[in-house]
Amino acid sequence: MINTEAMVAETATKIFTDLCGREVPHQAEAGHYPAELWDALTENGLPVAWVSEDNGGFGADYDEIFGAIWASAQAAAPVPFAETLIANWMLDQAGLAPADGSASFALSGHTPAADIPFGMQADKIILFDAAHQEVSLFDNREAVRSAEEALSPDGMTQFVFSGHVAEQSAKTNLSRRAFEALILTVRAVQMAATIERALNLSIDYVSQREQFGRPLSKFQAIQHQLAVAASESAAATMAATQAASAMILHRDNPEKAWHEAVIAKVQISHSVEAVTVPFHQVHGAMGYTQEYDLHHYTRRLWAWRDALGNEHHWSKQLGEELAATSPDQIWQGVTTGDWTGGWQVAS
Amino acid sequence: MQRFNFTVVQPDPALEELRTELQTFLKEEREAGNFRPEPECWMASADPEFSKKMGQRGWIGLTWSSQYGGHDKTALERYIVTEETLRAGAPVAAHWIADRQHAPMLLEHGTEEQKLDILPRIAAGQCYFAIGLSEPGAGSDLANVKTKAEKVDGGWKINGLKIWSSGAHMSHYMVAILRTSPADGRNRHVGLSQIMVDLSLPGVTVKPIVDLSGDAHFNEVYFEDVIVPDDCLLGEEGGGWKQVTGELAMERSGPERFLSSYITLETALWQLSGKMGSDSQARLGKLIANLRTLRGMSWGIANLLRDGVSPETEAALVKDLGNRLENDLTQQVRALLVDLPAEEWSPDMRRIMNIGILRSPPNTLRGGTTEVMRGITARQLGLR
Repeated sequence: MINTEAMVAETATKIFTDLCGREVPHQAEAGHYPAELWDALTENGLPVAWVSEDNGGFGADYDEIFGAIWASAQAAAPVPFAETLIANWMLDQAGLAPADGSASFALSGHTPAADIPFGMQADKIILFDAAHQEVSLFDNREAVRSAEEALSPDGMTQFVFSGHVAEQSAKTNLSRRAFEALILTVRAVQMAATIERALNLSIDYVSQREQFGRPLSKFQAIQHQLAVAASESAAATMAATQAASAMILHRDNPEKAWHEAVIAKVQISHSVEAVTVPFHQVHGAMGYTQEYDLHHYTRRLWAWRDALGNEHHWSKQLGEELAATSPDQIWQGVTTGDWTGGWQVAS
Repeated sequence: MQRFNFTVVQPDPALEELRTELQTFLKEEREAGNFRPEPECWMASADPEFSKKMGQRGWIGLTWSSQYGGHDKTALERYIVTEETLRAGAPVAAHWIADRQHAPMLLEHGTEEQKLDILPRIAAGQCYFAIGLSEPGAGSDLANVKTKAEKVDGGWKINGLKIWSSGAHMSHYMVAILRTSPADGRNRHVGLSQIMVDLSLPGVTVKPIVDLSGDAHFNEVYFEDVIVPDDCLLGEEGGGWKQVTGELAMERSGPERFLSSYITLETALWQLSGKMGSDSQARLGKLIANLRTLRGMSWGIANLLRDGVSPETEAALVKDLGNRLENDLTQQVRALLVDLPAEEWSPDMRRIMNIGILRSPPNTLRGGTTEVMRGITARQLGLR
């Protein structure tokens, strides 16, 4: 579940409501990083929510933090909240203390240079090296890095790991799949929340904007475009919720949540085009301006669908595995969510 | 707050046991040559003998009380049975509609006598129902129905014509929406009532309509001075519109809205084992991701229905997405099959594929067209 009504999620929602109004993402793009917002999140312990209690966090349940991530994405919060949550989770899996400050992450396979969101702002970069099953923490301030033309306002930074010495490293029991499961699930939650917010913006806009003497919302061509986008939005929410539930079900062995996470990635990333096209279309030229809010959402969707590999990459990953199993196993997966055999009773 | 709420419900061991029983039965029946799998089987593939076997095994009438021949189970058990029979492409059309919507309707609105008489026969797979909604002048504009029921002493006299009634030629009853009093000015939703008609009564004529593939599973049903007794009025006189809307929500979210063509994929997968190229694998990955997501939505709605909630908008979304997916599925399978030379296709493969294509046009029409679904969604979004 993505629990937006749990106490932690409500605390987060309140912080975003108070400190991340619609002007904040605009100001961040103009170079004014919202330090106050970040501090409020930190004071409430949110970035270390998934770190176990004996390691300095508060061992929160997945579902309530997914709710907080949902709120953050809907506010287009220009801070590395989800990234720090993931980075600290990675450190915790190797028994390392949470990062001091904000953090972002990379998985090996992308080294030496990885595309790192918030790579210019984050204090630390956490790398999972699958070949050695090792998690490492790098100080970002001394890194060799370069920012390129990015799709998203969160930026895309190339970080050179080779020749850069990690501050700390430790082994983990988890496989690459476990890390992928968590990262893809968090992104799915962000994307579903973002699609829904952009849908709401579009509904508001077409209800107000008048042409030919009536609101755009009264034209059937507009209604049907947004009805289709709404069905994609509902499907995205379902896919993200299903992935989130798999993480909760398999909290002791996140690798088993891999298929549901990949499915969410494939489902939602494929639908990005099906939603961003009508969202921009119904907004007309206004949606193309920097002044209006829509791009805070659509640009992130365009970036996230590429993150850690795009929808085509993951469709193939998933399909390759499925093709190697049997039609019976595929059917079992579709109907029960158990993709590896010996389905599990819900806990 | 989330706009759309689909609960995730994890599988349950008892339900999975039921699934295994179904799979064993369906495999045996198929291997014994008792049916040939077909797409759109719930609509166009009827076999009363098969329905009786399903009834004997307790797989019809799962959701209602044993007092009326049912099995005291929930909408979830029924869901498992329906999705397994769809996967197998089994001939379930005879009993499907009665089990899905008319039995629940009778439970809610029927007399005790009707329930005791009809429900056990439905559960036994021996009594079938047809839907009586559309008319020549009332398709998407359903409120335009003209077929009339006039009050006569002790009953109703019906005159008019219903159309596109699937299975009416083999059904025992139809539940029709009829005009029992005139519209109130421009408000055409008043004065409509649901009436159950015994199709063996004098004055009823069923004429088959042949579809483009040569099959005749839907019909015109003419009513000429057909007299039905008072207790055939189901629910409230004049309350038919509201009842129909509720009925349609139940009809729109089931697995038949996205799994009708799954048999085509299933058949292809068995043959493509070990032969899929990299393009096909990517195609398969996307298709299965879509199916898993839709199944999650539809299953979530089944859980809401079990709890007595009828989510009209979510049902409309599932139908729109599901219909698009089942048509897309057939096209994706055509693409997957480039990895298998045509001469290696099994005869079943070509037959199933062709039937699937020929039966695809109604997917986005029956139970409410795509355009009507999008209208419902747009209203819910506050756009109309």
